[in-house]
Amino acid sequence: MPKGSEIADHKYLIKQLPTATAFVNTDFELVYASDKWLSQHNQNPCEAFGKRIDYLYHINNQLVNTLGDCIIDKIDRTFEECKYDPSGKKWFEWHCNPWLDSKENVIGLIIRTEDVTQLKLSEINLGRLRSKLDIISEIGKIGSWEYDLIADKVIWCGVTRKIHEVENNFEPTLEQGVAFYKEGYSKNLISMAVHDALTKGKPYSEKLQIITAKGNEIWVQANGTPVYEDNRIVALRGTFQDINDKVKSEHKTKANETLLRTLIDNLPLNIYIKDKESRKILVNKAECEYLGISDVNEILGKNNFELYDKDIAETLNREDQQVMDTLVPILNKESRIRNKNGETTTFLISKIPLKDEFGKANGIVGISHDITKLKQNEAKLRDLVNVASLQNKKLINFAHIVSHNLRSHTANFSMLLEFLVDEKDEKEKQNIMGMLTNASNNLMETLENLNEVVAINTNIGLEKKPIALYDKIQVVEQNLTAFLKSHNATIINDVPIDAIIQVVPPYIESILMNFITNAVKYSDPKRPPLVKLSCRKTSGSTILSIEDNGLGIDLKKYGDKLFGMYKTFHNHKDSRGIGLYITKNQIESMNGRVVVCSEVGTGTTFNIYFNEED
Amino acid sequence: MKKIDSICIIDDDPITVFGMQKMLSLAVDCPQVESFVNGKTAIEEIKKNFKNTGKLPEVIFLDLNMPIMDGWQFLDEFVKIPTSEKIRVNIITSSIDRHDKEKWKLYQKKTHHVIDYNEKPLYKAEVARITKKA
Repeated sequence: MPKGSEIADHKYLIKQLPTATAFVNTDFELVYASDKWLSQHNQNPCEAFGKRIDYLYHINNQLVNTLGDCIIDKIDRTFEECKYDPSGKKWFEWHCNPWLDSKENVIGLIIRTEDVTQLKLSEINLGRLRSKLDIISEIGKIGSWEYDLIADKVIWCGVTRKIHEVENNFEPTLEQGVAFYKEGYSKNLISMAVHDALTKGKPYSEKLQIITAKGNEIWVQANGTPVYEDNRIVALRGTFQDINDKVKSEHKTKANETLLRTLIDNLPLNIYIKDKESRKILVNKAECEYLGISDVNEILGKNNFELYDKDIAETLNREDQQVMDTLVPILNKESRIRNKNGETTTFLISKIPLKDEFGKANGIVGISHDITKLKQNEAKLRDLVNVASLQNKKLINFAHIVSHNLRSHTANFSMLLEFLVDEKDEKEKQNIMGMLTNASNNLMETLENLNEVVAINTNIGLEKKPIALYDKIQVVEQNLTAFLKSHNATIINDVPIDAIIQVVPPYIESILMNFITNAVKYSDPKRPPLVKLSCRKTSGSTILSIEDNGLGIDLKKYGDKLFGMYKTFHNHKDSRGIGLYITKNQIESMNGRVVVCSEVGTGTTFNIYFNEED
Repeated sequence: MKKIDSICIIDDDPITVFGMQKMLSLAVDCPQVESFVNGKTAIEEIKKNFKNTGKLPEVIFLDLNMPIMDGWQFLDEFVKIPTSEKIRVNIITSSIDRHDKEKWKLYQKKTHHVIDYNEKPLYKAEVARITKKA
């Protein structure tokens, strides 16, 4: 125990110590204390000395025991003490050493306290940040890693290990880390990137594939940045993220998009999507081709008025608006649409409203099916059906004619023969025989006429040749010289000398002959017969007009029978009713037609259309 | 033998006319059998006679296919004659066109006269059966 003067010296010395230090005796009573200690623990120097520190500072029993151990076992001890004071929570670090006299006897404890509140608080903060980072890292599947270049050591965080599917204590070398990357592109790229980062300080961020320890192939985002110290690269630090789900769904979306695109581009339909203002925002290949544009971007964003003429655009706008307003789609509407090149296309158009999440239309999907070819074929087919039904009608008509004419003759034979069997009178027998001969001759003639008609109709393929119409009329006129002279008839040939028509040569002669002789035969006895021939051209055909000043025909009564077989309309001894029938068949077999106009008492005009196209 | 006052044959074929006349002479007793080569001459004569005497032929044999005015055109005119008398018109034709048969049914409904349809050839027995007053 120090003496009185010694104590005063010690006291003064200790008072000035720069650290917070206290001396207590074996009963824990405060003997000396530095001013720093007293102020650190808010103690009044007049009251503190001589009092037990466990009483002074309300230290707990555990602390008292520790202090006791220190004295008994003659050992140093360090511990932390936390206490509350009016300014908040405070931490103190206690360093306790046994207090020895000159004979190495323990006479008390030297206690040094250090206020570690600041340190403690930042430690707590750091802990908080760490756990926050761990949560982010866990949820975002973002791990971190570091490569210490000096120690040549790689550290992976828990998440990085988890992504690699390795044990929690796994510590790879740099080579092992790289070995996880998939052979080929991924491994080559990461090797280059790490090398460049270490040598050139180039950071990297790559989307790559690794094979995990369990053999799973996954996509990762690997980032790395060099860490500098004194301008030297000492480490690489980076993140490591599992983006497998994202990449997979990206790939799936892309595959779906490709599938959809392939589908709409290869459908034989024009497909487009328009926005609220009827601007095209998607078009397929067929629509591009239809609009005659190779680059899609030339169409996208354009409205109807920019793509079509005004009248067409107005119609299209109306339709688009109607579909968006009513939400009722237009389905398979047949429309003829003219593009800017002036080409008209027939489409089956469908327009379907494109609805947003509130059920309102914010555009339309359009599908147009080009049926121009179909329509053309349909028209061709209809023509064909018409021709076929016309032919069929002609055939039935002809069958009726044949049957009727043959039946009338055979009926006569049968009737006359019945008479002949019963007849007793020799003279009457002769008479009946005469009639039988007559009937036989008539039958022969009928057969010849029918034969001629059949010949015309079965020789449809007869070759047409260019004929100078004027010359042909001259030839016919010459052949009829005697006939015309005896009837005092005049022919006026107004056909231009250079008029050429495509006809079957024997037919045109027969046609001219028939019309001219008919005109003269049925002339009005009140005036000398006059036949005028002229011709004019219209699109696709040459029309030959044969006009006479004869009796005329009441077309109301006879119009439908004029060209019939064995139909006559005048009481004329030479009328056989076969000429016009054959003439008409000849004209039609050359794809022509004949039209008549007539007025009783004035004359008749036949217009013969020679079709130039075939 | 049946007695008929007046018979009219309208046909452009002289052989048929000859045959009809011959068969009629064997089948009925008729003092007046007239024949015409087409509908026009026939209707003109019939109308003239009707105007003068108020009488019509009791039986008419009518061909369909004739020049100038055919059988149907004749019928169109004939049914217009204002008479309450019932006349028997026997159509005699070699036509096998079914439209002709349909037309005949149409005419039957259009008139109070009796219209009959017969296909050629006609034999004596047939002629005797259809040559009667309506």
